Amino acid sequence: MSILASCPSCGAALSFRPGTMVAVCAYCKALAARKDRDTALLGKVADLVDTGSPLGLGASGTYTGRSFTLAGRVQLKHPLGGVWDEWYLALDDGRWGWLAEAQGRFYLTFTQDPHGTLPSAGSLQAGGLADLGPAGLWTVGEISEATLHSAEGEIPWAVEPGATYRFADLSGRNGAFATLDYSEEPPLFFLGREIPLADLRIQGGTRKPPKVGAQGLNCPKCGGALALHAPDQTQRVGCPSCGSLLSAENGKLAFLKSLKQPHQEVVIPLGTEGVLQGEKVICIGQLRRSCTVEGTAYPWTEYLLLDSQHGFKWLVESDGHWSLAVALPPGEVPQALDGQKNIHALGGNWRRFQDVEAVVEGVWGEFYWMVEQGERVQVAEFVAPPRSLTRERQKHKGVGEEVNWSLSTYLDPEAVWTAFKLKDAPSAPRGIASFQPNPHKATLAKSALWIVGALGLLLILVMVESATHRNVELFRKRLDLYDLAPGLRQEAAEAVRKGIPLRRPNPPSAPSTAEVQEPVYFSGPIEIKDGRRNLAVTLSAPVNNAWIGLEGALVSETTGVAELFLLESSFYHGVDGGESWAEGGQTSTVFLSAVPPGSYVLRLAPQWDGKFPPVGVLDVQLRQGVMRWLYPGLALLAILVVPLILVFQVAAFEGRRWQESMYGTAATASGDDE
Amino acid sequence: MMRILYMLFLGGGFSLMVANGFFGREFFGKRRRADLPPSVRQTPGAYRTFLHNNGFHGGK
Repeated sequence: MSILASCPSCGAALSFRPGTMVAVCAYCKALAARKDRDTALLGKVADLVDTGSPLGLGASGTYTGRSFTLAGRVQLKHPLGGVWDEWYLALDDGRWGWLAEAQGRFYLTFTQDPHGTLPSAGSLQAGGLADLGPAGLWTVGEISEATLHSAEGEIPWAVEPGATYRFADLSGRNGAFATLDYSEEPPLFFLGREIPLADLRIQGGTRKPPKVGAQGLNCPKCGGALALHAPDQTQRVGCPSCGSLLSAENGKLAFLKSLKQPHQEVVIPLGTEGVLQGEKVICIGQLRRSCTVEGTAYPWTEYLLLDSQHGFKWLVESDGHWSLAVALPPGEVPQALDGQKNIHALGGNWRRFQDVEAVVEGVWGEFYWMVEQGERVQVAEFVAPPRSLTRERQKHKGVGEEVNWSLSTYLDPEAVWTAFKLKDAPSAPRGIASFQPNPHKATLAKSALWIVGALGLLLILVMVESATHRNVELFRKRLDLYDLAPGLRQEAAEAVRKGIPLRRPNPPSAPSTAEVQEPVYFSGPIEIKDGRRNLAVTLSAPVNNAWIGLEGALVSETTGVAELFLLESSFYHGVDGGESWAEGGQTSTVFLSAVPPGSYVLRLAPQWDGKFPPVGVLDVQLRQGVMRWLYPGLALLAILVVPLILVFQVAAFEGRRWQESMYGTAATASGDDE
Repeated sequence: MMRILYMLFLGGGFSLMVANGFFGREFFGKRRRADLPPSVRQTPGAYRTFLHNNGFHGGK
């Protein structure tokens, strides 16, 4: 039940419900603190800034089954400019909820009794971790100071006009959110999460109707027409006509200074509307930024897009490469220590690409923070093509710092041109972007089905071949060379009597000019029944540092067609420089194509160098239906050659990508050398 | 382009394999085919001369 009191300044009626510590007079803006018997005047606050909030005082809603009323709000100023709203929900169970609103996002938190000691403000660092004991580890998104600007309704804490409050915003997984309020000792702990406004089912209230469309203004310096598409949130405007930097507060523009803007090749003009990835967006700002690495400046352009939900996105163009970036709660990304090369976030692994200092060079259009030329942020980029995670760490003027993570997705330039209906064709991207998808990887992935299918077909063919190739022996003969050439035996006997050795191995490089003997063997009829199976002739001879050849012909008795072939057994070995060597072999095989069924005769003519053969006998075998692994091997090579080329291309592409990285192989090697 | 190249490789590889495995064709090795006239077939000593004259030279 509310207690009624009167304003200590103007006497108007004030309401204090249980838990209300300060009430704001709706008539004179006086802050009235609740005392035992009366109210005390704390001072007066400025008029509320129109932040474009969709909420209004007195609105009601429900949260986890409990109804609530929006009993009050304060407006706090950020050191970087801008004002955000903090609404106070008076629940029907007596609790108070804090509903912070910033850039279209809402965070609902409740006070908690901390278990253990909370970390001091000085021990926290933006981007680092805050150990809250049983409440777990949290990522510090921002540590800064807020200044009370204005208030209305009933406030459940002791606000003071113009007071500053030190705070740390903490972010956890899945939208978890917490705030440490260092305005009191010990600090206050608020715990909650980011919440869609629709979940609160808010109705009623005294909010102003939202502004529709662009607000037309004129540059106070040059008089040029300016259209503000997010006037409630705009803090700075870069006049595209005269290059002036303007402040935008309460819907009014004020000249700040003239900027020396760099030449800007605009691709998407300010005010251009488009449909990007199914969402209506409008380009409201252009930012030229750059980083310098080893004395070379690398500029890029960022286009600030306002979507239909009054959220912001960034379209980034660098060397013809395009990407779309959206903000990410810091708690969704684990802490990235200096030099840490990999992080695991969003279900994937991200590899660090570079750490640079980004500088703002040019400003055109409207921006939701107090952007300045020369503004510097420390950027760390982690990539997992086609996406990248970028951490920007920025120190606030005076006190505090904040960390912002953004998730960028690589875009096909054609998609940008189509989205904004741009004229001409996009310029060809230059070089390889840090998170550009590897086109060869996509091709390789597409060919995976073909590879698997081809390997399966190969396996089936090999199995069928193995089952159907019977390796049938059609002919086998041991040839005695001395029987084939009777005169040879007699000459050999004479040679033995004269002490001439029969086997004189001849070096292969110096063939003998002795007369070649011609013993010839003719087989009997060989019946070949299968005309679709290959033939294999095998020669085996126990040569030792010698060779023997076999000139053969498989002659059809009916057609006279002959399959002519050459075989040789050549085996040499020795010791050279203390190392033994060997080459050739005592067995060799020649494969013949299938011949028509019929009767065949095999003509075999052994050959050797010198007068006498190096061996007395040799074995000859004719088989049909011999499985040859050469052809499955060639088919396997054919299956794998293109994927291997693609793998090489993938590796080459990645090599060129990481050549540009501070954390690539080359950079690592260079670092090692140092 | 790469797809066409891959199709050519696959076609070539499987053609060789099928031609060998199912039709007995051989594409590598020291061999050739020749028609021997009846006169040569009926005279064993004429083989060597005929073959030699047809470019079939044995020996190392």
